Amino acid sequence: MGINANGRPATRVVKIRVRRYDPETGRRWWQEYRVEAKKGTTVLDALLKIKAEQDHTLAMRYSCRMGACGSCGMLINKMPRLACETQLLELGTDTVTIEPLPNFPVLRDLITDFGDFFKKHRDIMPYIVRESKKENEEPYREYYMPPDELNKIIRYSYCIMCGLCYAACPVVAIDKKFLGPQALGQAYRWVTDVRDEGLRLRLEKVDDKHGVWRCHFAGSCSAACPKGVDPAQGIQLLRSKLVALTAGARRDKKPTHVATPTTVRYVDVGDAPKPTVEDKSLLVKHLEETAQELEQDLPYVAQALRDYLRTITSS
Amino acid sequence: MGEKRKPRFLENRLGIMGNIVPWVLMIRDNPERVAFVLHRLTGLLLIIYLPVHIFVTSMTVNPQKWEDFLRLEENPLAQFFLWILFGSIVFHGLNGIRLLLVEGLGKGIGKPEPPEPPYKPTSLSSAQRKWLYAVFAIWLIVWIVGGIILFREFGWV
Ligand code: SF4
Ligand code: FES
Repeated sequence: MGINANGRPATRVVKIRVRRYDPETGRRWWQEYRVEAKKGTTVLDALLKIKAEQDHTLAMRYSCRMGACGSCGMLINKMPRLACETQLLELGTDTVTIEPLPNFPVLRDLITDFGDFFKKHRDIMPYIVRESKKENEEPYREYYMPPDELNKIIRYSYCIMCGLCYAACPVVAIDKKFLGPQALGQAYRWVTDVRDEGLRLRLEKVDDKHGVWRCHFAGSCSAACPKGVDPAQGIQLLRSKLVALTAGARRDKKPTHVATPTTVRYVDVGDAPKPTVEDKSLLVKHLEETAQELEQDLPYVAQALRDYLRTITSS
Repeated sequence: MGEKRKPRFLENRLGIMGNIVPWVLMIRDNPERVAFVLHRLTGLLLIIYLPVHIFVTSMTVNPQKWEDFLRLEENPLAQFFLWILFGSIVFHGLNGIRLLLVEGLGKGIGKPEPPEPPYKPTSLSSAQRKWLYAVFAIWLIVWIVGGIILFREFGWV
């Protein structure tokens, strides 16, 4: 067994306390497991190990195991985190407590229901909305935007909908209808998008007492977000935009320097470039020679070349 | 064959009488949350105190009653309550100014730049964080000095 920098053994047995829930009996209890952890063992690894070796009734949700899908959000040591991105030894405690994310209904053990959360995201229309109905329904070309405009929203488009911000939010905890940091952050992302014209439509949901005005800047969403999305900032910027709008300021959206389907003209890209080997017989000769050279060492490559030769000579 | 029971899902929110967990999370690097909770508690206290305050002010119409009330106020417990109230007003006011700047005008939270590892949220490391520490500092100083002045009469300090 190796010794790490702290003079501790490189593998350590960690006690894991899981808050479990059985929807059929309604029973809720804490259960303890012990798992051996070494450097790099994530909480998700540990849970899967428990499920495989100790208790197959333990239920959790995961998919990508690399912080990209947003399925494995859990309350780990009282902080919402992604189980697949949290290493047991980095937590630095001998007992690790794992609970389902708060603010979400619990389905079983560590699995929570994201229905409301996703509905709120849909409510703010997370897609480009154009004023022309025709353009909305039959978009026929992509929209272009300049890189500096993209830089203003790219932070928000990194959201993986893991719900950690929603779980961390103390306002969601007391107001079930509150849109929550994820949806509001995305609302900001879409109304700032230069290609979008849906501000008025989105205001119906956002400009509401359960919308943007409900946030009181506890900032926990941003502190919890694993992707650096910073919803707290988005909400404040969205709100100050509304304040400015209400105060009669003109829309701060500059005359758009974005190319839309109606303004961009078809760019003629020309014909395909001419083949570099003009004379087919030259190519055939070259291929035959190469095939011969490779006959000894790489017979299957030589064979493939011959097959290819046959197709071009027969056409 | 066991009978099939209908699964019940568990609401896991604070609600009115619900789970306290969402309010006692240990979010790292998040003093804004502390300020949020304090702002709310002091706000509640001030709202409750408001009708009392109006009632108290109405007493000044009757000098006799007012004298009686002032005597009541000399009671240490009442003084202590006044001190708490004073602290609440100072904190709520100072933090309120910060919140107006942050929430109303979108100041002090940085610009939405592309994130870079280690993905530090800009809004939590921008000017508002400094304002927050200033609010805490001024509040504590004013509150403590106020307490010293208030309690000196009783010879407590
Ligand atoms: S904003 Fe961050 S914490 Fe919230 S759902 Fe998106 S990725 Fe998760
Ligand atoms: S399993 Fe996909 S984010 Fe953790």
